[in-house]
Amino acid sequence: MLRFIVRRLLQLIPTLGGLSILLFVWLQRLPGGPEYALLPDDATAEQRAELRRSLGLDEPVMVQYLAFLRRIAQGDLGTSLTTGRAVTEEFLTRFPATVELSVTAMLIAVTAGIPLGYLAARRRGSVLDVAAVGGSLLGICTPVFFLAFILKVVFAEKLGILPSAFRLSPGTNRTDLSGLVVLDGLRTGEFDVVWNALLHLALPGVALASIPLAVIVRMTRASVLEVVGEDYVRTANAKGLHRNTVRTRHVMRNALLPVVTSVGLLTGALFSGAVLTESVFAFPGIGSFIYEATQTRDYPVLTGFILLIATMYVFINLLVDISYSLLDPRVRAQ
Amino acid sequence: MFAKSSRKPLALLAAAAALTLVATACAESTRDDGGSDASEPFVFASAGDIKTLDPFLTSDGETFRYSRQVFETLLEHESGGSEIVGGLAEEWEQSEDGTEWTFHLREGVLFHDGDELDAEAVCANFERWYNLSGGYQSSNNSYYWQSIFGGFAENESEDIPEPKFVSCEAPEELTAVITIDEYSSVFPGGFSLAAFGIMSPSTLEAVADAEISGEEGNYTLPEYTQKAGTVAGTGPFTVQEWDHDQAAVTLERFDDYWGDPAGFETMILRAIPDETARRQALEAGDIHGYDLVAPADVDPLTEADFQVPTRDVFNILYMAYQQEANEALADLEVRQALAHAVDRQRIVDTILPEGGEVATQFHPDTLDGWSPDVKTYEYDPELAKEMLADAGQEDLTLEFCYPTDVTRPYMPAPRDIFDVIASDLEAVGVTVEPVTYEWTEYIPKTNSGECPLYLLGWTGDYNDAYNFIGTWFSGYNSEFGFRDEDLFAAMEEASGNPNDEERVAAYQDLNEQIMDILPGLPISSSPPSIAFAPNVNPPNVSPLTQENFAEASWK
Repeated sequence: MLRFIVRRLLQLIPTLGGLSILLFVWLQRLPGGPEYALLPDDATAEQRAELRRSLGLDEPVMVQYLAFLRRIAQGDLGTSLTTGRAVTEEFLTRFPATVELSVTAMLIAVTAGIPLGYLAARRRGSVLDVAAVGGSLLGICTPVFFLAFILKVVFAEKLGILPSAFRLSPGTNRTDLSGLVVLDGLRTGEFDVVWNALLHLALPGVALASIPLAVIVRMTRASVLEVVGEDYVRTANAKGLHRNTVRTRHVMRNALLPVVTSVGLLTGALFSGAVLTESVFAFPGIGSFIYEATQTRDYPVLTGFILLIATMYVFINLLVDISYSLLDPRVRAQ
Repeated sequence: MFAKSSRKPLALLAAAAALTLVATACAESTRDDGGSDASEPFVFASAGDIKTLDPFLTSDGETFRYSRQVFETLLEHESGGSEIVGGLAEEWEQSEDGTEWTFHLREGVLFHDGDELDAEAVCANFERWYNLSGGYQSSNNSYYWQSIFGGFAENESEDIPEPKFVSCEAPEELTAVITIDEYSSVFPGGFSLAAFGIMSPSTLEAVADAEISGEEGNYTLPEYTQKAGTVAGTGPFTVQEWDHDQAAVTLERFDDYWGDPAGFETMILRAIPDETARRQALEAGDIHGYDLVAPADVDPLTEADFQVPTRDVFNILYMAYQQEANEALADLEVRQALAHAVDRQRIVDTILPEGGEVATQFHPDTLDGWSPDVKTYEYDPELAKEMLADAGQEDLTLEFCYPTDVTRPYMPAPRDIFDVIASDLEAVGVTVEPVTYEWTEYIPKTNSGECPLYLLGWTGDYNDAYNFIGTWFSGYNSEFGFRDEDLFAAMEEASGNPNDEERVAAYQDLNEQIMDILPGLPISSSPPSIAFAPNVNPPNVSPLTQENFAEASWK
């Protein structure tokens, strides 16, 4: 297992190296530049040229890339062109918000998706099955921004029971330990802050969960239907094992393997979904910051954030593979 | 094994769905529209988080919205208007040649940290700005200083202009004299820019050694610009906290403020970049006001009892003719024909919010220098057709650029405006080829002269005609692609004339000349709106978007 983990971690080096080259090529091809986004519309050509020079953007791409690699080697991802703060600092400031939102969305998707998929499979052809399959198709097809708009109109504007924006109500005082509002609130006993944060997570969480929920429902349903037809399930039933034992140990345990894999992949995809969701809900995470960085051509933020997200994606998939081996002894044996 | 399933989950799901539907159908908003506790924070949503606590270092409008509540400038614009009035200086005068500006400061003005305002404090600010070095000299970190006062005591790059600032002296405790190398009409307006907010002597002492660290392309702003506790101004609010996690800046009322105390105890500025999200947050009661209201949202918000005051116009939208990008546009008759082809009143009536007006020249009529005698180009498609035929351009084809991803205060709906103009041009036989760009690509394309026809505009920084027409027509400009050395020289001469009367007359004459040669077609001036909850007494809205939120309060 250790060799497996080390091998996967070593794969990070060429992955990130290739990605960084792609990013540099992509950024060079992006039209416009920070000198147009950062200075007012009436800035002179000289002022824009001076800004490019002061940002080092007048150097050849290779020189810029080598300077970037030199900084990376020192653990420095550069400085945001718009805020003047270190990219790592900006990431660490915003990352907890995205983690909280993504975990909420994934919890909603998993806790609702697996039982729904399972029930749909159990009652194949029933109203529930048709609703689950149709609903999941709708979930995949509905654009997140549209769902977000509807959710806000109903629950924030009409019913007034949930906030439409932000991570906490303005003026909320809290003790910041890790940046994770809910976790910090639980640790310090500030339950009003926890409740406030959960209310703010509800709508963006549901909006962001819509696609993974739909995928998990369909995946679970298909997987369960496949497994119940297997010989070992028939054998387990024939042996007279208790129905719940068959369901949990033989059906669900095997049916969950592809679902767990998809959860890993979907967790990575949540970060891209968060870009839109965070913007729509003014949720101050890395997604909304990347969106703004794209608008302002903040190259260091775009490069740094995407590399950090890619690193996390690799780690998440590593965790998925480890959990896979725990669920399936055959993988361990290999 | 699946035969005996429980119906409980299905029933629960159905019940939940039914409850949601019933609740939604019967829902009335539970938003609190009533009066508010005086201590409740006033929450205002802006389009972006602020960039720095030191306004000198930025050209960002959202940062200036914050800084105008915390720092004050020597001169200001009148509340709700564009006239220059006293700020920290009660009175001021200029020398005959316009190079010496004497400011008589208010008595008894305190900074938030207890320091007293005097001429030494004012000069310490100007001397600091003039002597900045290193990363501070990047145009990203000193844009307005370079635009108004030129360069620094020791310029570190050839691209930085020569300094116009000469000295600041304090002959008396409350008298500061600022000397510049030659008169320019950017003064006195330049002294009112938010970037030149005066900080306390203690602040200046604390930040004296604060460097913008890092090498080129990797500058990090010093800590005092990112964390509340160091900077102190004289404004009606103090900075309590800048919470980067929440993209929120909390301001507290300054009880020792020299003027009327702020109406709110606490004001919180929060960033909501998305236009629709800002409106929904106001409707949901999450915020109490926001700026950059979409014209289409003005009526629905007003009908729902929200307050949507509209600012006086202080901007201009124009359609530029780039004469080098299409040789047909170098012909004055063609440019005039296109001007007659466009029904600008239709744009104002159908697209702009109430209060919008057709522009007859390249700056709004609120500025001195506006001329009633410019050549106007009335909508006359028949005349346009005749003129195009006379010029031999009956089959003219023109590329027309417009941006896709932005709205600007002067250009609330670029696509809609393009559609109206394109249909008018096609009605007189011009074939229009639309070219669209995202904003960050649009500006370089139009700046470099690649678009023959395009839409652009400007919102003024201060009350001077040069801030509009001087920006475009004081020299060769690839945005328009024409040379008229006489016009350029006359513009510079007017700007350098310290005699107000003569300068205004010169600007009027220049406006007439510009509309004769018609380098572009001024289209409209559009009034931007700002929205407030029903329980707020809004501040006077400013045509320069410089609202003083100390004037606002709970009802």
